[in-house]
Amino acid sequence: MFNITLTKHLADLSKIAFTNDELKKMTEDMSDIVALMDKVQNFDSEKETYSLEAVNYSDLRKDEPKPSLETEKILKNSKQVKNNSFVVPKVV
Amino acid sequence: MKLSELRAQLDSKKIGAVELVHRYLDKIQKNDSSIHSYITVCREEAIKNAGKAQSIIDAGKASPLTGIPLSVKDNICTENIRTTCASKMLENFVPDYNATAVRKLIEQNYVLLGKTNMDEFAMGGSSQTSYFGGVRNPYNTDCVAGGSSGGAAASVAADLCAAALGSDTGGSVRQPSAFCGVTGLKPTYGVVSRYGLVAFASSLDQIGIIANSAEDAGYVLNAICGYDSFDSTSSRASIGDVTEKIGADIKGLKIGLPKEFFSDGINAEVKKAVMSAAEFYENVGCKIIETSLPSLEYAVSAYYLISSAEAASNLSRFDGIKYGHRSDEGDSFNDNISHTRREGFGDEVKRRILLGNYALSSGYYDAYYKNAARIRAQIVEEYNDIFSSCDVILTPTAPTTAYKIGFQENDPVKMYLADICTVTVNIAGLPAVSTTCGYDENGMPIGMSLVGKAFDEKTILSVCDRFEQEFEKLEATI
Repeated sequence: MFNITLTKHLADLSKIAFTNDELKKMTEDMSDIVALMDKVQNFDSEKETYSLEAVNYSDLRKDEPKPSLETEKILKNSKQVKNNSFVVPKVV
Repeated sequence: MKLSELRAQLDSKKIGAVELVHRYLDKIQKNDSSIHSYITVCREEAIKNAGKAQSIIDAGKASPLTGIPLSVKDNICTENIRTTCASKMLENFVPDYNATAVRKLIEQNYVLLGKTNMDEFAMGGSSQTSYFGGVRNPYNTDCVAGGSSGGAAASVAADLCAAALGSDTGGSVRQPSAFCGVTGLKPTYGVVSRYGLVAFASSLDQIGIIANSAEDAGYVLNAICGYDSFDSTSSRASIGDVTEKIGADIKGLKIGLPKEFFSDGINAEVKKAVMSAAEFYENVGCKIIETSLPSLEYAVSAYYLISSAEAASNLSRFDGIKYGHRSDEGDSFNDNISHTRREGFGDEVKRRILLGNYALSSGYYDAYYKNAARIRAQIVEEYNDIFSSCDVILTPTAPTTAYKIGFQENDPVKMYLADICTVTVNIAGLPAVSTTCGYDENGMPIGMSLVGKAFDEKTILSVCDRFEQEFEKLEATI
């Protein structure tokens, strides 16, 4: 059963902050949505010849370096840049 | 006006490319405030590019789309032109490269009029979740335009562009086309490169076309299709000139009607209009065959599990560090990202990310994601089965016509269930085209879809065109 603890856990996994009121509302929404998703558990099949990857990746190009975007262009859309690098809050 | 007619007028100098683009820009300025189909209008660039197109036309070197004014959905990257995905997260994002589909249009010297409104990150069926405000239906501005390519469909229906690029992950080209009374083509997975399409669900996403007719959609597909080494899922299979069979006799063609698409959940007026279309096909010599897609009942749940799982992964890139909105809150690295995502994403996007991470979590993965993958394989088999005895499949595009704004957008489960008619096509990677087959008692358009075998866009466009040739369309009211 969906509850606020599970929503909080998923919010942490998803790296999305929620206020307590938002968490409560999200838990209600997710309960209804997951009830709809439960339908897949009724699917009766012994089918084991399925793939978890629906897309064929057999035609990949050779793993060779190709020209990429210039550093200046890559940094252009970042809000905080210093010395040709992205600035982030201190990690260690 | 049809693209072929526009082409003829441009080539015969009955109209100049600059004059044509001014006509569209003036109309956008006059009418778009009532439907809000555009997020960004590229006025100066459009006039400049129309001038360039005119010199190519004058030199007798025009390609099919030279000087043709188109709109592009705002989740398809355009170099030096803001690409927002209708999200606060990307409100000020300006890509430094073009999507391959856009690059191919530029090679033909098309004219970009602007970037169209949509559901945030293409997640929705109403185009009401846009950070910039919802899209309204050109047939009745109190109604939704459908989604997620609602702006693209509305821009075509209101004649604010000649045709539009959209994207279709679970029906996002076809359903708004049905709601807005225009033609929407979702090509086979892999036919159009996804490079530069902001990823939602990579195994389902496909760039599509919204136009005034099947033939017009074919012209645009001819320009943007083809293998691209920048997209590892791009196909090397050639679909040829997809307009080749337009006008050909369709006598003897076998059209399948899967009974599950005509159940009680489908509005009676919609069913009647689609069955009338089936009768039309029978009268012109096609054979109508009742078929079945038994796993349809599981399709919506399987689709939302797969698409949300992929979305949770794809949207993890939005951390506010490299590009996009960045919160001023949160002292630590993780807190800053969490606040950025709280402020940058809307409610529906957050629901999909949470659902995706739920389906992929230890303890839930087997019950949800693996079962969804099994259902996907089953649906592919069932389509193969139908296509062993049919050439195309006819279904409604949506269970209802366009509804009043505010009617159901706040009920996610109702919204998800409304995708029942379109999601299996993406699950199986097939091509499909939606066109108008009638109008409900309030004058709102009803859409039908023709689904084809993989890489057989030619046949569905030909069958669709045959109907369009004799169907009397009502113009949008704005």
